[in-house]
Order: sequence, then C-alpha cells, then structure tokens
Amino acid sequence: MSRSRRSDRLVVAFAAAATLVLGIAAPRMAAAETVTITFANWAAAEGTTKPAIEKVIADFEAAHPDIKIKSEAISFSEIARQLALRVRAGNPPDVAQLAGNDTFLIAATGKLEPLSGYIDAKFKAELKPDALNSLQYQGKLIALPWTLAPAGLWYDKAILQKAGLDPEKPPKTIDELTTAMAAIRKTQPDVIPLGLDTTNRPFALQSNWPWMATFGANPLGDAKASADSPQMKAYLGWMRDLAKNRYIDPGRKIGEFRPLAAQDKVAFIWDQVLLQGVIQNANKMSDADFYKRWGVTTQPAGPSGKSYSFEGGHQLVMFADGKQKKAAWTFMQYVAASPAAIADYTLGPGASLPPLVRMPNAELAKKLETPIFEAFTSRIIPTATKPPYGPAFSSGASAIMAGVQQAVTGSESIDQIAASIQQQLGRR
Amino acid sequence: MVLPSVAVLAIVVGYPVVYTLLLSTQDYNLLGTTPERFVGADNYRKLLEDPTFWLSLRNTAIYTFGSVAIAALLGLALALLTENIGGRHGRAARALLLTPWAVPFVVVAFLFRYMYLQNGGAINALLLATNVIDAPISWLNVSSLALPAVMVTNVWTMTPFFFLLLAAALAGIPNEVIESARVDRARGASLIVHVKLPFLRNALLVSSLLMIIANFNDFAKIWAMTQGGPGYSTTTLVVYVYRLAFENFSIGYASAIGVVWLLLLLAFAVAYLRALRMS
Repeated sequence: MSRSRRSDRLVVAFAAAATLVLGIAAPRMAAAETVTITFANWAAAEGTTKPAIEKVIADFEAAHPDIKIKSEAISFSEIARQLALRVRAGNPPDVAQLAGNDTFLIAATGKLEPLSGYIDAKFKAELKPDALNSLQYQGKLIALPWTLAPAGLWYDKAILQKAGLDPEKPPKTIDELTTAMAAIRKTQPDVIPLGLDTTNRPFALQSNWPWMATFGANPLGDAKASADSPQMKAYLGWMRDLAKNRYIDPGRKIGEFRPLAAQDKVAFIWDQVLLQGVIQNANKMSDADFYKRWGVTTQPAGPSGKSYSFEGGHQLVMFADGKQKKAAWTFMQYVAASPAAIADYTLGPGASLPPLVRMPNAELAKKLETPIFEAFTSRIIPTATKPPYGPAFSSGASAIMAGVQQAVTGSESIDQIAASIQQQLGRR
Repeated sequence: MVLPSVAVLAIVVGYPVVYTLLLSTQDYNLLGTTPERFVGADNYRKLLEDPTFWLSLRNTAIYTFGSVAIAALLGLALALLTENIGGRHGRAARALLLTPWAVPFVVVAFLFRYMYLQNGGAINALLLATNVIDAPISWLNVSSLALPAVMVTNVWTMTPFFFLLLAAALAGIPNEVIESARVDRARGASLIVHVKLPFLRNALLVSSLLMIIANFNDFAKIWAMTQGGPGYSTTTLVVYVYRLAFENFSIGYASAIGVVWLLLLLAFAVAYLRALRMS
C-alpha cells in the first residue's frame, strides 16, 4: 500500500470519527444550553384556564428557545400542602402559582427566594405599588403579583327589579342589603338572595374577613386572639339571621354559586372579578347583555361604617433551592407583564386585572374600559384589606370557620360560639 | 423462609409506626416555623384537654358503630328476603342490590351531596312533592342532621357487602338442618331466630369487625360531603388528624392522635383475629 493511499485512509477515518463525535456531541451541546424550569400551578389543572396557560407557555418557549417550561398541574386546594411537603423534602419546583394565605404560608418556610434582587427599577415602576407592598414578608418581597382579583358585591339587576327594587341602586349598608334580601325572598322563593362561601377552609375565612371587618371584628387580633368580642358576636348574629331567614345557602363553596348565578338563581354574590368570565362561559351571554344584567359594587357597610374587600389575585413565587433562578425570573416577568400573556391569560377566560399601573398597549387598555373593570379599579380595590396571613391564619381558619358554621347551622348561643372560638384560638 | 416477610413487614409497617411514635413525642411543624424539639408526653396531655379530639372520637364511634349496625341489619334482611327468589329474577335482584358496592365511594359522596342540597336537591324535591316536609331542609348544614345524613350514605354503600356475605352464609346452611326444623314445625321468625341466625353468627361477626375497621378509617365520604362540618358535627378522628397535619401542619400533635387511633384499631384487629379463629 502506498504512502499516499495510507494517508488518504487516515484522513477519511479521521473525518468519519470527527463527524461521529460532532454528530453525537452537537445535540448535547445544544441541550446543555437549554434549561428547564418546573412550574407548579393550578391554571393548567382547571378547564377554564388550561388552554390559556398552555398558550402562554408555548409562546414563551418560542420566544426563549433556551428555556423549557415543565408545567405541573396541581389543584388550587392542594397546592399549598404539596409545596410545603416538597419544600420539606428538598424538591420544590422552580416557580409556583400561589394566592392569598398560601403565599405567606409557603413564605414562612423560609424557602422562597426574595425577589428584591431581581426586580429592576423600571419593572418595579410598571407594577401597582399596593400590589407589591402587600407581598412583603419580614421586610422582603416574596412574590410577584400576577393577577389582581378583588371581591365585590355582584347583583343581578333583573332579580332586583322583579323584587320591586331599583336595579341601578344596589344596597350601600348592611340594613339596606337585609331589606333587599327580604324582598327577594318574598317575591322569588327559588332564588338564593346572597351567595356567600361558608365552608371551613382558609379561603372561606379570607372571603368572610371583609364581612367581619365591616362589623369591626378582628378575630385573630393584632397581638392575641379576640374572637370573644361584641363585634365578632354581632357578625356571628348577623350570619345566623341570614341562615334563619334563608338568605344564604350554607355549605356551598363560592364556585358552586357561580353556575347558579349564570342561571339567574342568585341575586347577590360576594365574588371576585373573575365571575364575569365564568358566567359568560356558562351561559354564553354577550358582553352587552352581561352589563345590562349584572352590576358590581362595594360591600354594603356594616356598623363600622366602612366597606371592605379582599384581594384574591394570584402571585408567582420562586424557590430558593432552584438552580435556574435567572431563567425562572425571565419566565415570571413574561407571565405577569408581557402583552401576549396579559391578552391570553390575565384578560382571557375567567379574566382578572393585570397588576400594572398602565397597560403596555392601547388595545389592552381598551379591554379594561368596561363598567365591571372600572368599578373594581376605581371603587372596590381601594377598599381591599389584607388579613393577617401566615401559619396562624390557616390554623385559626378551622376554628373560626367552624364557629361561623355553628352560628349558621347550630342552636348554641352566639356567646357560647364566640367563647369556643376564642378558646380554640388560644390553644394554638 | 420467614426472614424476607419479616423484613418487608418491618419496612412497610414497622417503620411508619415507629416514626409516628417518635413524631408524637415532638413539637414538629411541617413548615419548619419552629425548631423541632422533644416534648415527651406533652402532645398526649394536650390531647386529653382538647374538646375537639373528644368530639371527634364520639363522632367516630357513632359513625362507625351506627353505620355498621344498620347496614348489617339491612344486609341480613335483604339476604333473607331474596333467599328463596330463584331463576332470572333472583339473579337480577341480587345484581341490583350489589350495585351500590360497585360505585366508587367519592362518586357516592358527591351524588348524595347533590341529592341533599337545600335548593335543587332530589331528596328535598321528593319530600316536598309528597308533603312530608313543607320547606326544604339543608340536610348537610344542620348540625344535628349532618352526621345522620352522612351515615345514610355510608349505609347505602355498605349494605351490599353484608348482603353478599350473609346471602352466601345462608346458602351454606345444610338443607337437612332446615328440613328437620320444618318437621319440628319451625316457621317464619322462629326458623330465622332459632335456626338460621346461629349459622350466620360467625359471618356477621367477621364482616362487622372488618367494616368497623374500614369505617374507622373512612375519610373520602366525609371529606367530600361535609369536610367535617358544619362546625365539628361530622369531624371524625381521621378528618381531625388530616386538618391538624395538612392545614395546621402540626405533625407532632397529629401523630399523637394517630397513635391513639392506631391503638383503637389494634384492639379491633385483635378482636377480628379471635373471631376468625373461632369461626
């Protein structure tokens, strides 16, 4: 074999080996550059929001080919428990969707990454200051506001009219509300006058907190429990009257009133901004018909003379044990504030309000010009009160809501019930 | 030969039991908000002074023994009633009677929950239409009615189990025994009480003990229907432990209640084993 032949073969062999090596290694090199973020959320677990969040994730991945999102669907009622267990096991996701007390419950584990180091001045200025301030825990920003979903008093104008009430003048005080409910009960016995969540779970306490507040009650107290107070007893007595007169349908979750509201079977409903989307999704009502039929206003003021609301919006949190924090933050920013995500998810089916001071474009700004969004933005959001969230809130919720249920369904005296709640809160 | 079984049991049963015992002597919060520390018998002392624990124990006893007793009686009655129905009709009747046992418990719970609704529930609609009541009743939201209402659901699911076992036991009674009793002019109630029931005693005892153990642990039906409410009127031990462990995250205290619960179940398990030996 000649020397040149041998060298030719060597060259061919080298080229083949190089091709093989590159062929195997190239995809690996590309894969090494792609990071995967795990995202625990209930948006993908619910039929109404699943397509929207999947689209947001797909759009994000298309815009950021180096980041892949692994969405983990967990139900709303389970997510806090699962995250607490995963934190304990050292296996949390990178990013999670949380809301209300759950955000602060998980923050109490000390395993949430403070976001102050990620949020720059420009992005901070885009977000509503109240939304940011309410997410401080021990002086640190522990979550990024994703949606705002305050609760208001929704009213079905046709039902009010049928009861001989002015459909454009919803009740402003508890007394006016009681008079209206009596008229509705009398004229339309098959209608539930007030849809109110009285289940025993932390969300129900969050939902009832503004009603306690308007009676001047603060059962968890600032320093120690104060459930055995005249204000709390007044609230419990009012709840008992509501049940006795069959103005409320006890035991239903708020979500169980929504289909009934879509069938015109609920006159007033204490619910979040997303109710419009749920009703329209159920009965296919047009926007114009919806605004003709439904209105929303502030909570009727109780003895304190003040109206309150609760902010039930969703947040995004990042876990301190995550390995891809930069990519996680990029994803969080995109989901909360990108025009595409706002259009597809935040203002999509089951719409909530974006946490932004100003909409990023005129088209989105136009979408917010509805009587419902305007009522929430200008009148209801300013009445929002934040309950003392944290582990004490969730352990206190069982005792307080069990007491509310006893007031609503039992025969024990209100004094006994208030004393029992106080005793249980004291034992925690 | 025995060693592998012992090893598997030690891992599957022994480890959780020992770990629960250890946890019950600690102040252990799942969120890690307070450092874990050994508290000895404090959780057990706390339990003695906890009215919700005693109420849960009482509810568990009513729910378990009440449901099992009623379901056993109904199962027995159905087995006796269908005993002599033969042919196609008999098979169809037995298949129909067994249907509730085939429906998943959670489905049953939601089914009854919607049937019990104050507004739009089938039970209220039926009672109103037949003038039994003049206003709809919120079955699951009246403290005094909620536990019996959940028990009715439980009895509905459990009766076929008793029916199945007792029908099989009835079929196993030798014909000679029945014939000789008839020769002695034993008929109707007398034949059932003096001849058939003694033959069913062991089947009844074993199936009741099995169901007592199953009902003591019943979580799905109660949670899906009432979540232990209203108030604490349907809170049983298992519901209370769940709330303590996964809402309050008080794993130490929940474990102490778990240990008491385990001891009670052990007592039933021993009784069951003895009953098996007797039969």
